[in-house]
Amino acid sequence: MTMQAPLALDVASEAPDVAPAQTALPGRASVLRRLARDKAAALAATFLSLVVLAAIFAPIVAPYDPYYTDLSKAMQAPSAAHWFGTDTAGRDVLSRVIYGSRNTLAIGLIGVIVGGLVGGLFGILAAYFRKLDGWIMRIVDIMLAFPAILLGLAVAAIFGAGLTAVIVAVVVATIPDVARVARGAAIGVMGQEFMEAGRAVGVSDTVLIWRYLTLNCISTIFVFLTLRFGQIILIGSALSFLGLGAQPPTAELGMMASQGRDFLFISEHIAIIPSLVIFLIVLAANILGDAFRDVLDPRLQQ
Amino acid sequence: MGRQIVHRLLISLPALLGVLFLCFCLMQVVPADPAAIIAGPDAKAETIAAIRQDLGLDRPIVVQFAEYIWRVMHGDLGRSIISNKMVIEEIASTMGPTLELMFAGMLFAIPIGMALGTVAAVNRGTLIDRSIMAIAVAGVSMPIFFIGLILIQYVGYKWGLLPFLGRAGPVWAGGLPNLVLPALTLGSVLIGPIARLTRTSVLEVLGADYVRTARAKGLRERVVIVHHALRNALIPVVTLIGLQAAFLLGGAVVTETMFSWPGVGRLAVGAIISSDFPTAQGAIMILALAFLLINLLVDVLYVYLDPRVARQ
Repeated sequence: MTMQAPLALDVASEAPDVAPAQTALPGRASVLRRLARDKAAALAATFLSLVVLAAIFAPIVAPYDPYYTDLSKAMQAPSAAHWFGTDTAGRDVLSRVIYGSRNTLAIGLIGVIVGGLVGGLFGILAAYFRKLDGWIMRIVDIMLAFPAILLGLAVAAIFGAGLTAVIVAVVVATIPDVARVARGAAIGVMGQEFMEAGRAVGVSDTVLIWRYLTLNCISTIFVFLTLRFGQIILIGSALSFLGLGAQPPTAELGMMASQGRDFLFISEHIAIIPSLVIFLIVLAANILGDAFRDVLDPRLQQ
Repeated sequence: MGRQIVHRLLISLPALLGVLFLCFCLMQVVPADPAAIIAGPDAKAETIAAIRQDLGLDRPIVVQFAEYIWRVMHGDLGRSIISNKMVIEEIASTMGPTLELMFAGMLFAIPIGMALGTVAAVNRGTLIDRSIMAIAVAGVSMPIFFIGLILIQYVGYKWGLLPFLGRAGPVWAGGLPNLVLPALTLGSVLIGPIARLTRTSVLEVLGADYVRTARAKGLRERVVIVHHALRNALIPVVTLIGLQAAFLLGGAVVTETMFSWPGVGRLAVGAIISSDFPTAQGAIMILALAFLLINLLVDVLYVYLDPRVARQ
């Protein structure tokens, strides 16, 4: 212990931004290099970046106004003028897909970020304050009794169908899963000697929780959330497909597929194209998530 | 083992209460006044007040919650606002089709998923392994309605091979053709996750000492894999199938709606869209209870399959 104390003191006083790493994690540059070597992951990352950029710059990228209806051009098959064809109201499907992926990606991002923050906080607090553990995990168990789709149904029943209902549902559904993963990771870190050392030299709870505990759990939580992102998009679009999410005329990929379903036998592209785009986004997110996991946190592999 | 199961039952009690409470809250926080909806748009204030009293909506929340649990225990979930039938009857008539669909979906997905996972594990690192894992990732990423749309459009409509609307009675009474497409749709989302976990699980077992011993004894590779490896790899797979309960449930809701399958999921979605709160609440509660029950059964089965769990 006599050898440990000065070391911990060093860490606490001179380099407070970096808590001693629990295992030697690869540096940021090396992570990117290893990701780039994985061809599938590189392809997935490129595709996702393109979709995200298109969604952000939708007003510039989209060839037409996604809400401009022209019944004389309704249900046209894909052509040079309309790459993805037109829908039942003569709106350009490509433009609607670009605007629609905005809402779809937003559902995924908000679910991951808000659900991840709240769930991560719960999990880390449960691991740090043992008195809270029982209570927090009991709440988590109850929350786990409601799978996401049921939450979506319940929230839509309460607040009425809409994007808000979907977002509330995916956030609430993400919290307990993240809390469990974060708690598991944090309990592992709590057993490390540097935690004890930090406490021995009088580092405050806040600093211990944030700089020692959280920073050492973050890669596990991050990997879990990237893998979760695709799932959230699938749940959100399923709810929209059921008519419980985004309402017409809002462009959202799941809702567009649902609208196209009514005209499937007349012109299939209206339903198939948005569904295919959801599939590709989720596929890319999952491939990327798997690659992150392999590089950052091989323990999660099971 | 008995103690283990009792303990597990006790743990699920708070979750059960939580489910009931949330379903009860559904009725409380609904923006529209149920009494006003039942009374209709032109009702007088006295009529609404009378209905309110009749429904017990004027009593304290705690009393109402206790009464609610009492009623649920007696199978009284209220009446549907739309059809005026008892909600419990509506649910009872939809449970069979939902269970049938889930069962058929698993019957299709579990053997295929496990076979794919085992083949991938045995051929670890080869092209076969990578192809199977690519299929599995694609399966996990597929929106279930995409598969449903493709099956309806091609197998059902263009090629006219199978019906895709509604249910034609139980399987033994000519209902099988109608069941095939919904079951394929639902099962397809389960294949990917099951294949992935079976692979991990078999890989782990293949590295175990007793597998090496079996090989050293000179047993044929097929015997080693089927009798020694697969059997022990089953344990985590059972848990996984339990974890898939959420997928199964969500998938069933979407599949039923797409194929007009008269199940609990379709009942819930229809009720929410038409603001039929008693039915929506009842259907959501049954689905949540079913989910709890599946997880409970899986945990019990786990203790049975792996005696080491009971001894801990």
